[in-house]
Amino acid sequence: MEIDELKEKNLQKQLRKEAIRRNWKLFSQSKLGMIGLGIVLFFLVLALLQPFLFMTGLWNESIYHPVVGYDQIIEKKLVVECPKDYPTPKYETYLDCPGDGEVQKKMLYLAQGVEVGDMYDVYLQPAPPSTKHILGTDSLGRDVFSQIMEGSQVAFVLGLLSATLGVGISTILGTIAAFFGGRIDAYLMRQSDLVLMLPTLPLLFIISAFAELKIWHLAVVLGVLGGLGGSVITIKSQALQVKVKPFVDSARITGGSQRKIMFSHVLPNVAPLALLFMVFSVTGAIASESVLSFLGLLNIDMSWGLMIYLSQTDGFIFSGLEYWWLILPAGLSVTFLAGGFYLVGRGLDDVFNPRLRKR
Amino acid sequence: MPFPVMHSLTYFLIPNLPPDAYQKVLETYGLDKPLFERVQLYVVNFFKGDFGYSYKYFPKTPIELIAERLPRTLMLFSVVNIVAFYTGFFIGKVLAWRRGSKSETWITITSVFSYTVFYPWFALMMLWFFGYKMGWFPIGKFLYPEKWYDAPFDSDVIFSMMIKFVVIISLLQFAAYTATRGIEALSSRRNVRFASLIAIFIGSYFYWNTGEALARKPYAADIAYHMILPVLVVTIVAFAGTALLTRTTMMEVLKEDYILTARAKGISQKRIRDRHAARTALLPVVTSFIFTIVTIIDGSVLTEQIFSWPGMGQLLLQAVLEEDIPVAMAAFSFVGVFALIAHLIADISYSYLDPRIRVKSQG
Repeated sequence: MEIDELKEKNLQKQLRKEAIRRNWKLFSQSKLGMIGLGIVLFFLVLALLQPFLFMTGLWNESIYHPVVGYDQIIEKKLVVECPKDYPTPKYETYLDCPGDGEVQKKMLYLAQGVEVGDMYDVYLQPAPPSTKHILGTDSLGRDVFSQIMEGSQVAFVLGLLSATLGVGISTILGTIAAFFGGRIDAYLMRQSDLVLMLPTLPLLFIISAFAELKIWHLAVVLGVLGGLGGSVITIKSQALQVKVKPFVDSARITGGSQRKIMFSHVLPNVAPLALLFMVFSVTGAIASESVLSFLGLLNIDMSWGLMIYLSQTDGFIFSGLEYWWLILPAGLSVTFLAGGFYLVGRGLDDVFNPRLRKR
Repeated sequence: MPFPVMHSLTYFLIPNLPPDAYQKVLETYGLDKPLFERVQLYVVNFFKGDFGYSYKYFPKTPIELIAERLPRTLMLFSVVNIVAFYTGFFIGKVLAWRRGSKSETWITITSVFSYTVFYPWFALMMLWFFGYKMGWFPIGKFLYPEKWYDAPFDSDVIFSMMIKFVVIISLLQFAAYTATRGIEALSSRRNVRFASLIAIFIGSYFYWNTGEALARKPYAADIAYHMILPVLVVTIVAFAGTALLTRTTMMEVLKEDYILTARAKGISQKRIRDRHAARTALLPVVTSFIFTIVTIIDGSVLTEQIFSWPGMGQLLLQAVLEEDIPVAMAAFSFVGVFALIAHLIADISYSYLDPRIRVKSQG
């Protein structure tokens, strides 16, 4: 008996390995899925790089910290006085004065004894990208690149946590509904209908009006909302299909208990669909977090949404592309990470849904 | 209020308020009663439609505030949805038909981008580009106040008038569509439909140029002008979901045998696409549309906030930010009811699309 069990385990391991290899081959055939995986891995590296840089001392925490860091960037500027009438030989319109590397004398009313023609040290914030700050600094002198890294940590923690929680809940509930049927089934289905029809964003607003939401709270709320919602229905229908397969019958005949059948025969077969849901719900979670912190409803130190919120309240959004490093990186990061997870989901869809495969 | 939201009353509570005045404030809002009684009162009043008074706009009730803003939301919401849905359906149809060509990859990537783009950021960028850089469209609000100084009516009159107009136009169009359904010959049916479209067009031209509507036309035009940019931005973002789903279902439908039969019969490609394949592919798309109504409502809240469109969504968000809890709760309940009604309408229209699920009268 002992040897047989060992053999069986080895066989199972081998089969699992083969299945993973086969699925990977299918997944790698879908170009979009690979692009998505690349994007997700890129942001994962970004998220893991920041603590590494701090630990090894390559980055000084007092300068590069995403929330409390500060870097003094000084630029020497020529003090000039703007003429009253335009055009002059130097300036064509009033918009050209002060030009590059110049500062108006009027602005330095606090400095004593500064004359026209002197050089004056000006603190430059937000500073444009340089070798020291790859994506420049924001209006408080904080490194934008470090903020992006912090934001991707937040996005991964929130997205994966809420997706895991949500998918866990919906898989268990869906399997229970398929297995027990009757009243439990009816109740669960009506409940998920109700949650499905609940406008999520207004609900999150209301919750944030009553309680201060932190990232953990938001993850739990999003997870529970996602877990009770529409995915229960889909997973239930999948579990119903699995339930009538011959191997479940044979497991029952050989005397497997309800729980054993549920957890070791039905759940593994529902798992691929659940994984698919998980990947798609990460996209939603990242978007919700960004929206909430964009509106300033979240109690959070730093995230991508907050970066856009800050650049909007500081008035840089309508400055066009002059301060692009404050506007583009955060918005594109949200878009790309959400898109990356979505594309991975599409790739997995091709693997688990044979009807969609390329002819 | 059942909840201990004392901090929302900070608008009224000055630190050195005399105790009796403090007590008076508590009594005004019924906060001195025990918690259980407050919950009971709240639930009873909730079903009566009584949400108390707004903290910020004190003498007004939340219902009054909502009634003032509802037409604006309805107008924007309905126009945005119709435009976005039709654009998405049309693009998805074309995408599935041209499967495998290079343009398909590009359009798919664009759709994925607009599907996952961070909406507030994108809307702000569009606002910057079209409103500020190009200066084609107004940046915020739903009207130019200077045009409305000597207007003899308020904007809600115009809004309800425009809603009526849009509803009647779409009903007429729908009626013309169903009436011509029985005509067998394709070319004559197309001609009749085209004629009905022209008739509706001429009719609406006369409507806006006679009597009462003529005086209101410039104001309606002002509102319509302010609506273009939000509609455009939401369409760019929202068409992608519909387009991708239409593409997927269309691709499955195109593998069916009856499409092959239709091809073998020698029916023109366009007719196979529009009448045979797209008609069947419409069903799952409408189903998903019913389920995405909630997402659309979410999006309209954000749209209203970003384009400073003073509707229900902005009311809700402002109330939440200012901790005006009665208004927030009322607006949220209203949005929930709104979602339910939208579901109901979509469900009913679904039965028109799919003859199989129509309820037959017995006997």
